[in-house]
Amino acid sequence: MEVLSFHYHLNIRFDSPIHDHQFTLRCCPVSDGRQRILQEQRFVFPRESLGESRDSFGNLCIYGYVTRPHSSFEADICGEAVTGLAEAVPAGNPYQENLFLYQTDLTSPSDEMADFCRAIPFPVGERPLAQAQRIMEAVYRHMTYTQHVTDVNTPAAKAFELGQGVCQDYAHIMISLLRLRGIKARYVVGMLMGEGLSHAWVEAEDNGLWYALDPTNLQMVTDQHIKISHGRDYQDCRINQGLFYGAAHQQQEISVIVQRK
Amino acid sequence: MKNYDLLDKRDTVNELLARYGVKFGIYKNGTFKEQLFPFDAIPRVITKEEFDYLERGLKQRVKALNLFLLDIYNDKKIVRDRVVPEEFIYASSGYLVPCEGVVPPKEVFSHVSGIDLVLGKDGEWYILEDNLRVPSGASYPMIARELCRRSSPRTFHDNPIEDNRNYADLLKHAMDYVNVGGLSVVLTPGRYNAAYFEHAFLAERMGVPLVGYNDLQVDGDYLYFKGYAGRRERVGAVYRRISDEYMDPMTFNPESVIGVPHIFDVYRKGNVALLNTPGNGIGDDKGIYYFVPRMIKYYLGEEPILHNAPTYLPFYQEDMQYVLEHFDTLVLKDVAEAGGYGVVFGSKMTAQQKADFIALLKAEPRRFIAQEAIDFCDIPIQEGNEIVERKADLRAFVLTSEEPVVWKSGLTRFSRNPDSFIVNSSQGGGFKDTWVLSQS
Repeated sequence: MEVLSFHYHLNIRFDSPIHDHQFTLRCCPVSDGRQRILQEQRFVFPRESLGESRDSFGNLCIYGYVTRPHSSFEADICGEAVTGLAEAVPAGNPYQENLFLYQTDLTSPSDEMADFCRAIPFPVGERPLAQAQRIMEAVYRHMTYTQHVTDVNTPAAKAFELGQGVCQDYAHIMISLLRLRGIKARYVVGMLMGEGLSHAWVEAEDNGLWYALDPTNLQMVTDQHIKISHGRDYQDCRINQGLFYGAAHQQQEISVIVQRK
Repeated sequence: MKNYDLLDKRDTVNELLARYGVKFGIYKNGTFKEQLFPFDAIPRVITKEEFDYLERGLKQRVKALNLFLLDIYNDKKIVRDRVVPEEFIYASSGYLVPCEGVVPPKEVFSHVSGIDLVLGKDGEWYILEDNLRVPSGASYPMIARELCRRSSPRTFHDNPIEDNRNYADLLKHAMDYVNVGGLSVVLTPGRYNAAYFEHAFLAERMGVPLVGYNDLQVDGDYLYFKGYAGRRERVGAVYRRISDEYMDPMTFNPESVIGVPHIFDVYRKGNVALLNTPGNGIGDDKGIYYFVPRMIKYYLGEEPILHNAPTYLPFYQEDMQYVLEHFDTLVLKDVAEAGGYGVVFGSKMTAQQKADFIALLKAEPRRFIAQEAIDFCDIPIQEGNEIVERKADLRAFVLTSEEPVVWKSGLTRFSRNPDSFIVNSSQGGGFKDTWVLSQS
């Protein structure tokens, strides 16, 4: 167990002013069996309207709009979380969560991935968590962590073929293989101890419990991770969605700081 | 039936329809074209007894479909009890994940249901499909009746025909019933929508604002109508004539520029009613259609009153076998398509087309249903000065508030092409008024 302080910072710059900007931000962690959010402050600037809602996965969304022209948009979420409260979180209604057995456009496996999965030596009757650990290790060995070769829309099959990518790609590939094995799997966005970007990992279901695995770092998720959101794939967990009027190029900057309290 | 001079007034009625702008828009090769929806003056007549039967069957069906939608987006008992296989939910494009866990106001999902039926030569009515998303068409018999009444008043004075002028009241009541506080409005994607005439007509008849995406705004927990003078008023119910995917770019298709950003967030909070409820596509999915009779037994404990056209699901091995053996007598439908598209007749394929189709069918069995081609009744239409027989169907409208109510009229569409079974207006068919008789 740890008490961590976190600071999520998003800054978007537009090279010419935009207006009638609508946004949804999914960057606020929420309490679950594994973590408890002790306190949190949010700053969104500029803003003319701000609301809060939960999506169908229970992720916290903050949304609003800015009608007047602006050339930058910033959001800061700061707070404290107790992490590592449990090893796993209880699953919900299985008939609802069977959704996580189905591949999406981003996780849809190629034939090569199916062959790769078949080549993993799973002992007969092995429990899903142990299978997930094997898959995690296989994905970790197959991939080389490389930035800027993939982007947020790269499907698992493409990243697998490249053998390179970032945490999002590791997570998508692992999810795809878990689903091939008939194991419910979901995509997680969160923050990791230290300074950097947001992180992505995987949750796999075993006997009514969701276990969290971090294939990029080849480890079970620990009290050094703060979860923000989950969904079927990256698309369900988009941190920042915006819609605006104006002809502008945008540059997005994210920085995450997590440290021991 | 005392018809007086109604048939002689066909041209008058069509001219009036044109003058009132009763048009149907279609996109052909990427360009938008509006065309008149040809009206035929010979009504389709449904006897009181026949309508009573249809009414019982339609109410039962819509009730079961509403319960199905509530169940599918919440507990999923019908999946747990293995009445509907899970694949048919989660792999369907009609199932929308963002709708999970939402119970809409008063638990109504399908406020306006358009159920398509045909009358077989065996005298039986068959359900062709359920339309639970944005069914259109009620305005056409509404205005045609009005113009016929004006052109030939005696016809309606001397025949025992159920008055169909209550549609707007039924629809308004369905809106008011689920309204959670504030205005009721009709949301249209605009004049380039196929059914724009209908949006404007219904809004006018109900006496509610016809609004576009620009007139609505989400602020915090609520949806507002921005009045012309800059004053905002809260909106409690939206009869939206825009499809789910374009309704809210922040939840659904991010490319949509005709949606209302964050309207879905407000809906999830229970702070606005949307008619029909988003996610209904899972209820009128062509694959799910097969399961509707089972749904009726499952949720209501009743035998279905109205029957489906005999349907096979290649997903099931024994049905696949049947489909392959009887390929030439079947109609095959792609479950992802609508509006008469994606429908093929086994008998009309060349050997090569057939081989290709069967390969596709085997590769993606869940994607198709197969149906017996129902030999449906021809009904008379006027063609020049002659009366000829053509294929027709009936779209019945069921409006759900406290209970489902079947509108005592409907849209009868016919094919003008003597060889075609496809009556969809998007494929160039015409329409008739539908008379329900009030006395035996």
